[in-house]
Amino acid sequence: MRTATLAAVPRSLTILVTAAAVLAPLVLILYQSFLTAPFFDARKTVGIGAYEFIFADSDFWQASLNSVVIAFAMVVIAVPLGSLLAFVMERTDLPGKRWIEPLILVPSFVSPMVLAFGFVVAAGPVGFYTVWATEWLGGAPWGIYSLTAIGIIAGLLHVPNVYVYASAALKSLGSDVEEAARVAGASPFRVAATVSLPLIMPALLFAAVLVFFLGFELFGLPLVLGDPEGHLVLSTYLYKLTNKLGTPSYHLMAAVAICIVAVTFPLVLLQRYLLQNSRKYATIKGKAGRMRELPLGKWKWVAVALIGFWLFVGVIVPLSGIALRAFVTNWGYGAKLAEVLTLEHFQSVFDEPILVRAIWNTILIGTVGGAIAVACYTAIGFATHRRNDGWSRFVDYLVLVPRAIPGLLAGLAFLWVFLFFPPLQPLRTTIFSMWLAYTVVWLAYGMRLISSSLMQVSTELEEAARTVGASRGQISRQITLPLIRHGLIASWLLVFMIFEREYSTGVYLLAPGTEVIGAQLVSLWQGGAIDVVAALSLINVVLVGVGLALALRFGVRLRD
Amino acid sequence: MFRRCLCIALALSGSVALAQTAPPGYPADYAQTIAAANKEGKVVIYSALDTKAAQPLIKDFSALYPNIKVEYSDLNSTELYNRFIAEAASGQGSADVMWSSAMDLQIKLVDEGHSLPYLSPEASKLPTWAVYKNQAYGTTYEPAVFIYNKRLVTADEVPQDHAAFAKLINTKVEKFKGKVTTYDIEKSGVGFMFAVQDTKFFPGMKELEQGFGASSYRVYGSTGNMLEKVSSGEHLLGYNVLGSYALVRAKKDAALGVVLPKDYTLVLSRVLFIGKQAKNPNAAKLWLDYILSQRGQKLIGSDVELFSIRNDVDAEYTAASLTKLLGPNNVKPIPVSAEIVTYLDQKKRLDFLNAWKATLAAGAAGK
Repeated sequence: MRTATLAAVPRSLTILVTAAAVLAPLVLILYQSFLTAPFFDARKTVGIGAYEFIFADSDFWQASLNSVVIAFAMVVIAVPLGSLLAFVMERTDLPGKRWIEPLILVPSFVSPMVLAFGFVVAAGPVGFYTVWATEWLGGAPWGIYSLTAIGIIAGLLHVPNVYVYASAALKSLGSDVEEAARVAGASPFRVAATVSLPLIMPALLFAAVLVFFLGFELFGLPLVLGDPEGHLVLSTYLYKLTNKLGTPSYHLMAAVAICIVAVTFPLVLLQRYLLQNSRKYATIKGKAGRMRELPLGKWKWVAVALIGFWLFVGVIVPLSGIALRAFVTNWGYGAKLAEVLTLEHFQSVFDEPILVRAIWNTILIGTVGGAIAVACYTAIGFATHRRNDGWSRFVDYLVLVPRAIPGLLAGLAFLWVFLFFPPLQPLRTTIFSMWLAYTVVWLAYGMRLISSSLMQVSTELEEAARTVGASRGQISRQITLPLIRHGLIASWLLVFMIFEREYSTGVYLLAPGTEVIGAQLVSLWQGGAIDVVAALSLINVVLVGVGLALALRFGVRLRD
Repeated sequence: MFRRCLCIALALSGSVALAQTAPPGYPADYAQTIAAANKEGKVVIYSALDTKAAQPLIKDFSALYPNIKVEYSDLNSTELYNRFIAEAASGQGSADVMWSSAMDLQIKLVDEGHSLPYLSPEASKLPTWAVYKNQAYGTTYEPAVFIYNKRLVTADEVPQDHAAFAKLINTKVEKFKGKVTTYDIEKSGVGFMFAVQDTKFFPGMKELEQGFGASSYRVYGSTGNMLEKVSSGEHLLGYNVLGSYALVRAKKDAALGVVLPKDYTLVLSRVLFIGKQAKNPNAAKLWLDYILSQRGQKLIGSDVELFSIRNDVDAEYTAASLTKLLGPNNVKPIPVSAEIVTYLDQKKRLDFLNAWKATLAAGAAGK
């Protein structure tokens, strides 16, 4: 009895701390949205004025419409392309699959902010490729600042998100039915369209909801690409409210955030429902036999060319743009590449103590911070592992909450918590504040990594330990934890890359001492320091690249 | 090695000397302020000016007061304000010194009792409009300018005054469509302030706004973006750009041209005050006095390139040189006064924004 009580303490503590970290910002945002001034202002009163204001603001409705349009465009583009890509990669004799696989996942690991800069300096009105196209062909038939362009770019960049789920579903599906269709004379694409893809419909539906949801939360791309023509989406509208009234309008921002959550939270729940459903579907699968690759025949090179084109547009264009821009003094019509080459942007990055600190902090938050985050996720994982009580279900839903709050606002709410919650005050200007916000914002992602590791440990081993009298704590420490250590290291690498990539959460937490590259990029971009932005972006890409290379070297599965 | 030793020796002797005496012309008890500041040992500054640009001032101040460490954070002007009020409300203390180009927000903070009253011994050297309630001080004299792309805008097109700017974008609509840029007055407090001042001094403001609409102008939240885009040729003309930054860049950038409008040139002055909850109030006083002093202003007019506000400073960028260039009646400094907070009133601000948008729309529809 006594040992049971003891073992229960850390569990309830874990759940309590998690609940506090997750719910405090949300409650604060909700409370703030019903005030007329910042919640710390003595002159605040309670009311629905904030909602009245934004509902009367035509920009809000325009931004909402744009968000919906972009999210739909992303679904329409990413779902068909992502599922076809998965089919081609999983089922056919496409050449060079081993090389293509990691490349496909690159867009999901590079910061969207960096990719957006990349598009501007590569394919913007005076981007490298635009200038070259104009010089050699007499004109460039593209523009990247229109709403359509933002939708297309966002769609192409989210192909990997669909690919990951579609290919996982295809893997668990036997290929015998496809072979039957093939024998009956169907072409590879007919097989895909009429047999394979309908069979993985639940996974595709899940991916579609996910992409729509991500589209609704899009921040970096519309911030950079939507600026010149003034296209707002909900998140950039929220960001713009920082200054619209001259003084901070936290109540308006909070009201917009609540409107966003009102859309995203049901979507998160829908995803959860679909995921459970698709697992049910997975049992109705064909007999698992040896997978046979469908010969693509004459379609082979068409497929390679299409994938190559997509990789060129989505990965090579923006990254080469960033890389090139980091080494030239200025650019535009009439500038000669040989005359403008320079290393001075890196010099100015390394001369600036704040930026050097930002680089160190970013490395620190990814490595040490990533490890501690994984430790926290593991603790939460153990708190619910193999327990089917009310608390476990509570935590299950709890970890989904931060997923629904835009990172930008979560960061602001954490700033408030650190300002006004006395025990945390001394930590506000340390990197800890940034780390806590990151860890909470990525809670759902981290928990998926941990629970998939935990699920692989079969129950017999734990039961065996129990029969010889081990306590729950002992089982966790001596049986389960050692067994999942490889999974934990893999999770650490993935969390490292996610933390290197993160940018919106840090925007409001940025302070002397908490600088990180991602948030610093947003701030520098606002100030127009393109030279430094390009150099810093390249450094960021290199950091993510190191993580990616390590992950590939150690055979980490790059998807959850 | 020898040089470093010498520096340290000089610094030490300097600190000893200064710890005891006040600068010439300062009240006798100033030595006590210096002693107290040395005891505080640091000064925390929140500023809208880049750390890099402020470096000469920080270095020189540290040479003058080697025992006082300067902790300098640069933030954009809105963030500066947000952070300051939040920190003040949390009672944890905030910056010792607030130094920002958002003049209206600075005045608002002073009016709401966030500043420490302090009469600087240098106050008498400033124009009267630059001293507010003996609490906040204008420190620079930065003109709002036009910029253009030298490769793509011909010499005869370059507008020399506001009327010419309005005429150009209203007549050569084809060439300048999508190529004119200015501040987004919804995002930038400085841009908003300039726009309000323009309606005061420029009778043709309506035509200008319509021209913006007709040429589907592009707006940004900061000067840096406008400079970058005009320099690269993505845009051709920039309106109401902060001249201090533009002139610095134009020196190194062959593609960027700068015009000080001949009919009138608006001038912004960065406002500095000491925080009421300052933990290092004496060090803050030293910084304030240093920035306003001839020594600090000389740097502001040269290495920092922000234009000195004092008339008795001999440097490249000064209020005097600007006045000489444009004529005394054509320089319109925005006064550090209660008047500029008018548009922080929510309703007035929204009315202004809506009127601005309506005129733009009319201009866009007219062409």
